[in-house]
Amino acid sequence: MAAAALHDLSGHDAVAARYHDVDAVYGETRDIRLLGFVFFLLADCVLFSSFIFAYIYLRVSAPAWPPFLNGHQLPWFDTSFAAMNSVVLFGSGVTMHFALENWKHLNKRKFYGWLIATIALGIGFLLGQAHEYSSVGISWAGTTMGASFFTLTGLHGFHVFIGVIYLTVLGIQVNRGVYTGSKYFGLTAGTLYWHFVDVIWVALFFLFYLW
Amino acid sequence: MNVAIIERGAAFLGAIAVGVSAIVQLKNDWKARGLDADVTKLLLGLMAFGCVLALLAAANVLGARS
Repeated sequence: MAAAALHDLSGHDAVAARYHDVDAVYGETRDIRLLGFVFFLLADCVLFSSFIFAYIYLRVSAPAWPPFLNGHQLPWFDTSFAAMNSVVLFGSGVTMHFALENWKHLNKRKFYGWLIATIALGIGFLLGQAHEYSSVGISWAGTTMGASFFTLTGLHGFHVFIGVIYLTVLGIQVNRGVYTGSKYFGLTAGTLYWHFVDVIWVALFFLFYLW
Repeated sequence: MNVAIIERGAAFLGAIAVGVSAIVQLKNDWKARGLDADVTKLLLGLMAFGCVLALLAAANVLGARS
């Protein structure tokens, strides 16, 4: 390992030395915690699936789509802006993956860089979604299209918002030396959560903008 | 210039960059073992698929409304 990298990780290594080979409980419980977290993601997947299937049912059973309101057919959603905003979110998934990989290679400085990029892209996506809400031209009430759109994208946006807070907390924890080169389950869970949020958006992007 | 063209151009270029990065990461992690590695591979693959959707949307192949 480069001397510079070791210098960067002085606090990190100090914690690693403290825990290394003495925290057998971590090794024993990591897998079960990981399994629990994957079950949490699956439960979240069921939550989204229930709303998604409700949307599909409402859409296929509607006489016309987009539905009519006061005699006028509602507009389609803006695909070009959504495509750009989707790429912002997908890009944040890649940067979070880079962050975790750099942590595994004990490069704390690059880890911070990619983590901050992820948080910035996540905030960028939320701002994009706020812009879309303000210009979409439909409301929550009145039509199944608006209700489905705001419920599902709002639920997803809430997950992104929580994810941004989650990643910020992880950054603070890293700064405090909570994680080491061999103990970083929180970072793994944060990365999985962020990838999950990205993948949910793949489904929503297809259903609302491309279908 | 039309705003939609700029948005589609940004989405097109971004989708290529992000999609290629996701596929390269997927390739690098392909031999990794363990539940977290397997879930990560699945999610990275789906994210790459999302980039393909965004690419097709930016190119007006999908989601083109009359």
